[in-house]
Parts: sequence; structure tokens; C-alpha cells
Amino acid sequence: MAAPRSCALWGYCGRGWSRVMRGCRLPGLRSSWPGSLLSARLLSQEKRATETHFGFETVSEEEKGGKVYQVFESVAKKYDVMNDMMSLGIHRVWKDLLLWRMHPFPGTQLLDVAGGTGDIAFRFLSYIQAQHRRKQKRQLRAQQNLSWEEIAQKYQSEEDSLSGSHVVVCDINKEMLKIGRKKACAQGYKTGLAWVLGDAEELPFDDDKFDVYTIAFGIRNVTHIDRALEEAHRVLKPGGRFLCLEFSQVTNPLVSRLYDLYSFQVIPVMGEVIAKDWKSYQYLVESIRQFPAQEEFKEMIEDAGFQKVTYESLTSGIVAIHSGFKL
Amino acid sequence: MGSFHPLRAASQGTGLLYPEHIPTSLLQKVLLTAGSAGMALYNPYRHDMVAVLGETTGCRALRVLRDQMKRDSEGAQILQERPRISLSTLDLDKLRSLPEGSLGREYLRFLDVNRVSPDTRAPTRFVDDEELAYVIQRYREVHDMLHTLLGMPTNILGEIVVKWFEAVQTGLPMCILGALFGPIRLSAQHLQVLVSELVPWAVQNGRRAPCVLNLYYERRWEQPLKALREELGITDPPVHIKA
Repeated sequence: MAAPRSCALWGYCGRGWSRVMRGCRLPGLRSSWPGSLLSARLLSQEKRATETHFGFETVSEEEKGGKVYQVFESVAKKYDVMNDMMSLGIHRVWKDLLLWRMHPFPGTQLLDVAGGTGDIAFRFLSYIQAQHRRKQKRQLRAQQNLSWEEIAQKYQSEEDSLSGSHVVVCDINKEMLKIGRKKACAQGYKTGLAWVLGDAEELPFDDDKFDVYTIAFGIRNVTHIDRALEEAHRVLKPGGRFLCLEFSQVTNPLVSRLYDLYSFQVIPVMGEVIAKDWKSYQYLVESIRQFPAQEEFKEMIEDAGFQKVTYESLTSGIVAIHSGFKL
Repeated sequence: MGSFHPLRAASQGTGLLYPEHIPTSLLQKVLLTAGSAGMALYNPYRHDMVAVLGETTGCRALRVLRDQMKRDSEGAQILQERPRISLSTLDLDKLRSLPEGSLGREYLRFLDVNRVSPDTRAPTRFVDDEELAYVIQRYREVHDMLHTLLGMPTNILGEIVVKWFEAVQTGLPMCILGALFGPIRLSAQHLQVLVSELVPWAVQNGRRAPCVLNLYYERRWEQPLKALREELGITDPPVHIKA
């Protein structure tokens, strides 16, 4: 009885009931425990299981979704400005790196979850368009003895610069999507985009639909991360790639102290002064601390069924790009 | 789990001195002071930034004010009973029915003419003492009364004059900063009037009048404004400023 007991004890230490259940596949485990002890333990575990964290606060799971929604509703208008100010513009580099890791080719079907204001989606479209332009240039260089008019005509041809590439931006928050659509109009992205209101834990898409699934700075706000990962696995085509850009744990102790100081002392103040909202930015920095570290998150991704899961830490571990494949 | 989140462990209301309280470290107060001062100058419509500046810098002045209130009988009553001026506590119909020239009627007229409401005042958040938090809240709510007493509208010129009066009366750094830096955005003509006539008048009246936070305004609605002005030693403004 030693093995099942230690396995169950590990579960009772609060590591997560679902993980215990998945880990202890020994037959007859549940029936071998004295009934009353198990039911008493089950009750207390259940009560704890319906509570979760909202930053450093403890809230019920039903509450968390609503509270996160309110946070993003209130920050939506100043989201991009605050991102620039808080990360001193570095978030742009992180997002660019995500695209370079993705290296999409024309025809890719991308699903960008929690994509709200469209940063990843617009970069994707630009990337594809840049690729197309490079291809056009190469073709023209290969052809000789063309007149100026012919060259100009080639560039102006109505050829679809996206060649079938498409990105669906999915977000649970209407305000963020609104801002995203406004930006799309302002920056001139008209084709190849779709905006869908949806929950990462229950995506409104069929199975096996997308080539790439990305979620940038969104997954830590999801109440049940494992469900979001399972949904990601479901909607990806076989051979599809999962990419996640998210804040992670800093390993270097000096950087960690500076990062903590900056996060907790400066960012809420910035939120108050620029966006008139201390509490949302307090939640933001706390939610970063609550998110699992690189290795743990890698294991969660593997649990959802992804293979060849790797991660790359950026900026001393402040953010990490996790990648996995559905094979 | 992040050693620099001093009092955020105060979730669920523990460690908070009053419901809206956000505990802040010294560094955060310094940053808030700088940030709010800068933002208030950059965007004068950010009244909330002026409020935050008052909260982060007002520690000493608020204590002096609170002690002044304690020494006065009416002020001590206010500290005890903690009255609030808001649309929910005011009886607007009763105020409207009061005779012309009374404090209540003139206050209501001031609200109507300038299209302001007593409810637009943000709650105190960054003061780390519950009684002082009330004192600054009271000061904010009394600000409109001062407009009425001094006969100043809520345009930028009127606000600066009231700030000068408050700076002399309360000694709050935010009032002093507002009084000194507010005129930056004034036209030359207004600046001239301000410096030559309005500021000396405001300063004189501020010095002469007893502490305006010691008045239980809610009990003086029927008092004629003229009589109240005489009681406080406030003379008529030298220049009439249009709203």
C-alpha cells in the first residue's frame, strides 16, 4: 500500500486534485481506502479546489473570470500605451521574436487567442506580406530584359499578397476586440483577419482547424490553464504548432530583485498616473508571480498532449516562449 | 513571492485602514508624487492627479489641520460625527426652498451655474491614517463651499484664487504647488489681474479667517451668506470673475 498512499498524500498536499487523479492510475486505488476517510478528504479538497488565485487574492473560480474581464475592460483603451511604458518598448521585441520563431509561410491558418488588440495578428500579416514582397523581388530579378512598365505592372498586380494566409483573433473581452478592430482599420489591415469573441477554455471552433495557435500574455489570466491547453490541442491540425509567449520566472537573483522592485513599486504607480487604475496593474504584476515557472508550464503543455515541447527564456527569464507540436 | 509587495498581503480587507485604502511604501509615495505632479501639469483635466498629490504630500499639514479641528468645538464635533457632503446626503429640495442669500441656496446656485456635482470627488486612497483620510476628504468636500464663500467660479482663474486661499489656510503642499504652478497656464491679462488684485485679497482673507474646516456647514444652510462672510472676515472679491 506504500505507493498509492504516497501518491495520494502528494495530492492532498495541494498540488492539484486533477493531477493526482491522472497520476494515480493504479487500479482499485479509490476503493482500497476506508470510505469515510476518503469522502471526508474529498469534501475538504473539493472546497479548496473551487478556489483559485486572483493576483495575491483568493477568489472562487466563478468569480475569477468576471474579475479578469473587468480588469481588461478597464485597461483596454490604454493597453498599448501602458505596455510600451511598462516594458519600455521591449514587449515589441518579444512579440517580434515570437513571429520569427513561428516563421509562418504563406497559406498558414493562425489562431491568436487572447489576441485582443491584435499585436500578434498584425505582425503575422506584415510578416507574410514582407515574405511575399521578397518573393516578388526575387522573381523579378531572375527575369531579364523587362521594361520599366512591365516591372511596375508586376508590382501592381492584384495578386493576393497573403496567398491564403489567415488569422483569427479570438478574445473573451469585447472591449479589447473593439480596440483591436479600430487599430486594424487605422493601420490598414483589411484582409486576412477575423475577430471572434470566445473563451480560451471553450473555443468556438471545430477540431483540426488551424496550423498555428498562439497565445501571447493571455494564458496566465485563464482560470483553468489545463483546459485552455486541451482546447489548443483540439483545434490544431495534426502537425500544428502551439506557441505561447508569457511572463515567466527569473532565475538570476540580482535581476529578480530589480524586477520585483520595478514590478511592485513602479508599475502600479504608472497605472495610476497614466491609466487612472492602480488596482488593475497591481493584479497584473501579481498574476505574473502566480504563473508557473518554465519547466512546470512545459509539463502542463505535455500533459495536454503536445510533443517536442521546448521553451526559450528571454530577457533573463522575464518572458518565455513555449512551443509544442500536435503530432 | 516578491519581497517588495509590502502591504498587498492585505488582501481581503485585512490591514486596510479604511475601505478604499491602498497601502503604499515610501518609494511608491515618492513616485506617485512626481508622477501625479507631472501629469497634473501636462493634463490639467486630470483632477484626480491633483487629489493624489494632495494625499501623498499632505501628511504633516493634515496632522496640523486635524489638531486645529480638535481644539475647536465645532471642528471636534465634525471629527466625531464625520458628516459627508454628497448628493445622497444633501436634501436638494430643502436647499432649493431656502431663502435667497442663504448659504444653502447660494451653494446650490453655485453647483447649477458651474455644472458641478459634489459626487465627483474621488475617495481618499493613499493616506495611511484613517482619521487623516477623513480630514482630507472633508477638505475636498468643503472646497465647493469655499468657492461659494469666496464667490469664485470653477474656471482656471477661480480655482487658482481658491487654491491661494486654501494654501494659506491649510498649508497643504498640494495647495501651495497648485497656487504657484497653476498660473503657468494663464493668459497674460488674467495673470496681471491675478497677481495685482486677486492673490493679495485671497491671502489676506485666508490669514484673517479662522480654519474653514471647523465650520459645520450642514448645520448652517439657513445662515445668510453675508452673515457667514462677516463671521469669517471674508470681504467681497475686488474683481468679479464670470463663470
